[in-house]
Amino acid sequence: MKELDGHRFAEMVMMGSHHLSNNADFVDSLNVFPVPDGDTGTNMNLSMTSGSKEAEQAANAHIGKTAQALSKGLLMGARGNSGVILSQLFRGFGKAIEEKETLDAKEFAGAFQAGVDTAYKAVMKPVEGTILTVAKDAAKAAVESAETESDIVKVMEALTDEAKASLKRTPDLLPVLKEVGVVDSGGQGLVFVYEGFLAVLKGEELPAVTDRTSMDDLVSAEHHKSIQGFMDTSEIEFGYCTEFMVRFEEEKTAGNPFDESRFREDLSAYGDSLLVISDEEIAKVHIHSEDPGEVLSYGKKYGSLIKIKIENMREQHTAILEKDEPMQKSAAPAKHPYAIITVSMGPGIAELFRSIGASYVIEGGQTMNPSTEDIVKAIREVGAERALILPNNKNIIMAAEQAAEVAGIEAAVVPTKNVPQGLAAILAFNPEAPVADNAESMTEAFAHVRTGQVTTAVRDTTIDGVEIRKGSFMGMADGKIINSDASLSTVTESLISDIVDEDTEIVTLLYGEGTTRQSADDLAGYIEEQYPDVEVEIHEGKQPLYPYIISAE
Amino acid sequence: MSIGLKNEFGTIDISNDVIAQVAGGAAVECYGIVGMASRHQIRDGLTDILRKENFTRGVIVRSIGEDLHIDMYVIVGYGVKISEVAYQVQSKVKYTLSKQLGMTVSSVNIFVQGVRVTNL
Repeated sequence: MKELDGHRFAEMVMMGSHHLSNNADFVDSLNVFPVPDGDTGTNMNLSMTSGSKEAEQAANAHIGKTAQALSKGLLMGARGNSGVILSQLFRGFGKAIEEKETLDAKEFAGAFQAGVDTAYKAVMKPVEGTILTVAKDAAKAAVESAETESDIVKVMEALTDEAKASLKRTPDLLPVLKEVGVVDSGGQGLVFVYEGFLAVLKGEELPAVTDRTSMDDLVSAEHHKSIQGFMDTSEIEFGYCTEFMVRFEEEKTAGNPFDESRFREDLSAYGDSLLVISDEEIAKVHIHSEDPGEVLSYGKKYGSLIKIKIENMREQHTAILEKDEPMQKSAAPAKHPYAIITVSMGPGIAELFRSIGASYVIEGGQTMNPSTEDIVKAIREVGAERALILPNNKNIIMAAEQAAEVAGIEAAVVPTKNVPQGLAAILAFNPEAPVADNAESMTEAFAHVRTGQVTTAVRDTTIDGVEIRKGSFMGMADGKIINSDASLSTVTESLISDIVDEDTEIVTLLYGEGTTRQSADDLAGYIEEQYPDVEVEIHEGKQPLYPYIISAE
Repeated sequence: MSIGLKNEFGTIDISNDVIAQVAGGAAVECYGIVGMASRHQIRDGLTDILRKENFTRGVIVRSIGEDLHIDMYVIVGYGVKISEVAYQVQSKVKYTLSKQLGMTVSSVNIFVQGVRVTNL
């Protein structure tokens, strides 16, 4: 075909509009941009219908007049973003060929290009990956094709092919499309219009409605819509996303022939977001239903079920919500008036802390300091109105102080530097007193405590005048190294003599990895022998690195 | 003037300027909008199209009590259906603000201050 006149063009427009209107629902389902309200197909369809009506009424052999009528109808009926863009595309198109009786291939391609130029002028910041991009790429392909080709059908073919290819690329240009896994809805609508044009020029039937749309596209679009739609998990009416295929079996379909529209109608009673695609052998079904069993039973009437997938959408939705706002969810547990958060190493010490009133013990210590966030999380988990934090390590005091600031509830840090201080502090806790008073009295309480720790040296060194060999034991009184020896008992005994004085009433021994209950008992015997006025308490701390942690008060 | 939010880590203050930027940014991405107009036409010259960096002058954010109202002064391209474009801007601005800033807008009022005619 070398020349296109107004009557033929009017036919093209009508077919384009018809094809778009057949597929409007599908276009709706793709709508995620600019606002995911699922109306692109409807809007474009209404706009195009209005344009097509004008063109039909004004049908004239003069193509310029027909195009003008289309442009006017589109403008008057423009609905939605893509409707407005469509009207601009054809306004430019019509303007370019205003004076023309008929079009040749070059002029035809040029008109599309003019449409794109006009359309781009009416936007300050064109967003690529939309109907605009599809129109632009398609027009460019048409112009290129028209340079060597004088057959209008071929040019229209080139235009349509490129429009489809460009549509496929839209997710690469517009991230939101990729995220949801769909192509641009407006672009898809334009492709339908172009396909209608081409079908008339070729004198062909239009392709069937479903075969170009993959089920996966539809499913992800449906899911996106439902995720957008439900703010609260409890709003989900149909809780199970059910997908399956039915492979038809003759003995079943003989008395019960498969009819897609009836099948669809019957299934729609079970839920929403229903999608059905079928051919002679197989029907593919996607539905959100509260009773997937019944849906499957229904499908089984027609044949055997294959590829069944059922997912609980409430769970998924909750998971999505939790990902969005994990903090708010976990603040649920019963309210304690006070949360006492401590940090310790070793399950035994943790147990000890809990037994004397700590509400949450964070595992941590010398080599694995908990972060501010860990502490905040712990406070939140307890769900108390007020919190006291006992870091039990000088390296954690900072993090604890930050946590107290951001916790969102009244909180204070009792700057304990080791486990015995922490234990002493907790014992001074008064649940009736305000946070500040508690912090003060607890700090005071641990100030009287003298602490001894026995650990193993990791390298040869000399600290505070004490020569230390790698692998030997060293004793620290209140954090200061006072002695070192290869024998654990020698170190421990001399350490005890350093921290215990005449005012000491109680000595607490926490024995950990590297020593035994037996040696701890022996040590206790030694202490009672040396200091008859002192009471000795022994606990299994199971702490790593420190065979003994000793406190004297 | 600003809008405050509070959560467990502290407070978040979003100034009206930011809201205006976001709303303006959403609007100029809308098809049919070719620019923002200054709301003081006499003072700033007639419908001079504001450049990107100062398009917040074409956006007024008013908070009355709990409610947020946005007035937008826009310039549209010639040949578009203005009512539809304006509607698109309203819906896009409302959507963008709720998505990016978590704010519900009570009203988005569009003042079309000019039409830009481009010669074809």
